[in-house]
Amino acid sequence: MKKLGDEYIKRFGPARIIEHWLNAIVFAVLVLTGLSQKFHDYSAAQWIVMTFGGIDATRLIHRYTGIIFAGLTIPHILAASFGFLFLKWQPSIIIHKNDFRDAIVNIRYYLGLEEHPARCDRFDYKQKFEYWGVVVGGILMIATGAILWVPTVAARFFPGEFIPAAKALHTNEALLAFLVIVIWHIYNAVFSPEVFPIDTVMFTGKISKERMIHEHPLEYERLFGVSLKSPEDENAPEKSMTT
Amino acid sequence: MLFRYVLGILFVFLVFPLNGFSAESSISAADQTCMMCHSQEQDMTFDAGEKISVKVNIEEIGRSVHRIISCSDCHGFTADQHPKRTFKNHRQYTAFSAKVCTQCHVSHKTKIHEKLLSQSPKGTVCLDCHGFHSIQRARELSKGNHYCLNCHQRELSITFKTGEKQSIHINESILNISVHKNLSCTDCHFGFSSEEHPLRIFKSKRDYSIAMSESCRRCHFDKYSRTLEGIHYNLLTHGNLNAPVCTDCHGAHSVYSGRKEKLANAKKCERCHPEVYKTYAQSVHGGALILEHNEDVPICSDCHRAHDMTDPRTTDFRNAVPQMCGNCHADKDLMKKYGLSTAVVDTYLQDFHGVTLKFYKQQGKSVKPIAVCIDCHGIHDITKINAPNAPMIKANLVKRCQKCHPGATANFPDSWVSHYKPSLKKAPLVYMINFGYKVFIPFMIIGLILQIILHIWRYAVNR
Repeated sequence: MKKLGDEYIKRFGPARIIEHWLNAIVFAVLVLTGLSQKFHDYSAAQWIVMTFGGIDATRLIHRYTGIIFAGLTIPHILAASFGFLFLKWQPSIIIHKNDFRDAIVNIRYYLGLEEHPARCDRFDYKQKFEYWGVVVGGILMIATGAILWVPTVAARFFPGEFIPAAKALHTNEALLAFLVIVIWHIYNAVFSPEVFPIDTVMFTGKISKERMIHEHPLEYERLFGVSLKSPEDENAPEKSMTT
Repeated sequence: MLFRYVLGILFVFLVFPLNGFSAESSISAADQTCMMCHSQEQDMTFDAGEKISVKVNIEEIGRSVHRIISCSDCHGFTADQHPKRTFKNHRQYTAFSAKVCTQCHVSHKTKIHEKLLSQSPKGTVCLDCHGFHSIQRARELSKGNHYCLNCHQRELSITFKTGEKQSIHINESILNISVHKNLSCTDCHFGFSSEEHPLRIFKSKRDYSIAMSESCRRCHFDKYSRTLEGIHYNLLTHGNLNAPVCTDCHGAHSVYSGRKEKLANAKKCERCHPEVYKTYAQSVHGGALILEHNEDVPICSDCHRAHDMTDPRTTDFRNAVPQMCGNCHADKDLMKKYGLSTAVVDTYLQDFHGVTLKFYKQQGKSVKPIAVCIDCHGIHDITKINAPNAPMIKANLVKRCQKCHPGATANFPDSWVSHYKPSLKKAPLVYMINFGYKVFIPFMIIGLILQIILHIWRYAVNR
């Protein structure tokens, strides 16, 4: 009999995978060149700046990488909107009120107050919040980054205080994004016991049937037209498979 | 004549009781004869009407090196031969008497003697320096500075090749107030001694000053080596003889500590930089120094340094400005006195310009000039920021911004939060954003970490 773990279901096409990894590289470069400016008092930051060829070179790299980031983020938003409006793409990433409920259910489950974890669809609430963090944060970073690049132009349209405000926003949002990615995303994609040593979905585009049933049961049911469990069923497959 | 002898002898006994006898008895009979008359108060009148006393102090002779020779050895007179001579004036008499010295002292040991003796008797003669009845050995005279001052306390002068005259008269009282009062002349004027007095010819007074300033480095080598990096020395070596040397600022015989008085120090610079001094005098720093005698303010040397002052037009100098200003403006105790904020330095250093500058310094070169304190506050004309025509008020500030940011508009200066830490009053938008993230980032990160911990815990429990 074929084990569930050996069966794979396609989750992402090559375009999404390329997009993810381009974003990852761009993000890494932006973090290196950006946070080293923010934390300029630390010798490690100074070493990074010097290695990039000085502060002007670091800023230049940061700004042009920022353009690439904008070139990834803005078309993504446009394409997603277009797909949703005209191509009947499923807005599966939109945050739904069920997501808040799922989050609470999951935390209760972690604490032992709930029998079963939240049953999620194509994207679970963690992925959705992270996604919107990247999109909204990205827009903020692009807008404030542009102001900081050409402050004299910005001052023609906005009060002068917008420039230091843009800097405050840019620098704080950067730190937040960095910490969320390093702690949360890297945990979920690398160190989480469920995926360790690494989540291969963003390399292969495929997810194992086992993980699919466990992590995205609603999507699985929808795709295959099956019902995985009834809440009363003690031997629900995902629970037995979790352990 | 006999009557005068008797009278004289009687007088001598009356005037020199007991203690006078030792000196008296050691002198020869012939000299005693002279003293009979010359121990009395008598005047001699020159043709010009000038009078001198011809009284001789026997004790003075007793102490002199010439106590072993008799009066007539120098004066040529004996008791029997005392011809009347007439001289135009005292000076002529002195010059005449001095010729006698060369009868015995023929070897002109030093060049300066040769020179002086070759000059007309109107010049300096032996007696001028060595004295006459009280004449001492050279080594006795050379104790302390007295040997040199013997000649140099006189109104002497030298003439340089250019025709410039320079007095070489030294006022001892000036030497005594200098920090070098315990040094002897020859410590600086090396190559000179009681034995050596070479004749040196300088083109001009300036040439002499420059050459003499070399003496200072024999003791002050640290300062000297610093001047080698300074712009003044550099100018000097490139042929600008007006560039100052040690003595121009510190003085020569009256040398005193440069740290003593700030105003006097600033005034030294004024001599060559009057325009800058004028501007400085009107600035908040200069004004306080000159009008209020406030010694807390910086003077020229506090920013430009005293010995190794570099060209202030260089980028390196410019880049060092925040540090210079920070020397005082980051000093909490000092700024408290004047109600000034010490945040000015840090707010600058943490801002875009300050960070850029820091990296430029680290890189060792500046890609472009970066705004430092002086670009907004002025250089020598620094004013209070609330002064009526302060250059920092917004309208003027735009012009300063435009120097580097050509497209800057009236709004642009507001992008600089004026050294204030953002608060609800100053830059409320910046303050609120910072505050929001200050709360949100820890909330978010702690929340995520808790969830991770819970997740791992649940996973472990389920196993």
